[in-house]
Amino acid sequence: MHEVSIALSLLERVIEECQGKGYSRVNSIRVDIGRASGIMPDALSFSFNAIKTDTIAADAELIINEVPLRAQCMDCQSEFASEETYIFMCPACGSITFSVISGRELDITEIEVE
Amino acid sequence: MKLKVVSKILDANEKIAQENRKVFDQNRVFVVNLMSSPGAGKTTLLEQTIRSLRDRVRIAVIEGDITGTDDAQRIDALGVPVVQINTEGGCHLDASMVQEALNDLPIGDIELLFVENVGNLVCPAEFYIGEDIKAMVLSITEGHDKPLKYPMMFRQSRAAVINKIDLKDYLDVDIEKIKRDIYTLNPTISLFETSCKTGQGIAAWTEWIETHCLCRRP
Repeated sequence: MHEVSIALSLLERVIEECQGKGYSRVNSIRVDIGRASGIMPDALSFSFNAIKTDTIAADAELIINEVPLRAQCMDCQSEFASEETYIFMCPACGSITFSVISGRELDITEIEVE
Repeated sequence: MKLKVVSKILDANEKIAQENRKVFDQNRVFVVNLMSSPGAGKTTLLEQTIRSLRDRVRIAVIEGDITGTDDAQRIDALGVPVVQINTEGGCHLDASMVQEALNDLPIGDIELLFVENVGNLVCPAEFYIGEDIKAMVLSITEGHDKPLKYPMMFRQSRAAVINKIDLKDYLDVDIEKIKRDIYTLNPTISLFETSCKTGQGIAAWTEWIETHCLCRRP
């Protein structure tokens, strides 16, 4: 359900971008999806393919680049990554104050058009 | 040909949320995005909050539900302006739904606006609607594992209300663990333990809300 709304926003943004520049057909769309964005790539692809019919992106392929979750500890300054979708503490010093460097992305990076 | 684009997928939502934010700022409205799973007691907590604050603060409510108007009718009975949004299946409110609802509210005459989001512990946290704060309600009947299972929600909230506290003797739930886990996720969050049945903790919660509203007065 959530992925459907994200896919709809994605499709609207792509169509707006292309029509604004006079393109009539979208071949592919590259997106960055962070591990901690709350979005499952498979569900996003499924949703996108379901809603793209009858639009200028009807034949467009959605290429998803998964961005790993990385953070920097505010206490010991070490940088670390996580395979999980959430970081609870710094693995080096156990601090719970850190800033997320990447992993929250929901970004469009490239659109291939005709 | 390839178009290099750097655009957030939720750009459109973000833009409308900023427009909402502007309207709230111009009218000095303090806006609370109230989130929880279904049945945690959001509407009952709102009823209690409205009863204790309505003589001192001008309140309005936007009710978000998948379908139905039960919640809006409960709020309407308390004599404060309320607008019901039905998302028709959508699992969260977004900025444009809130923007549309604002047309039906006397925005210049409101100091405190509660937006009761659709009951869901996942998606509402992702969609900014222009609010000042997110607050969440967790009832102890949901179990003590919820903060660590839905970290985003707790991480983004400025306040968390642990509700239905009157049931603690009947449940095998570790309330200390709930609090510990919430503080681990969000060390600066304001925590409240409430029972809408006995009234326990309601005053602390409403005072906290009122203090935030008073900061907005000219």
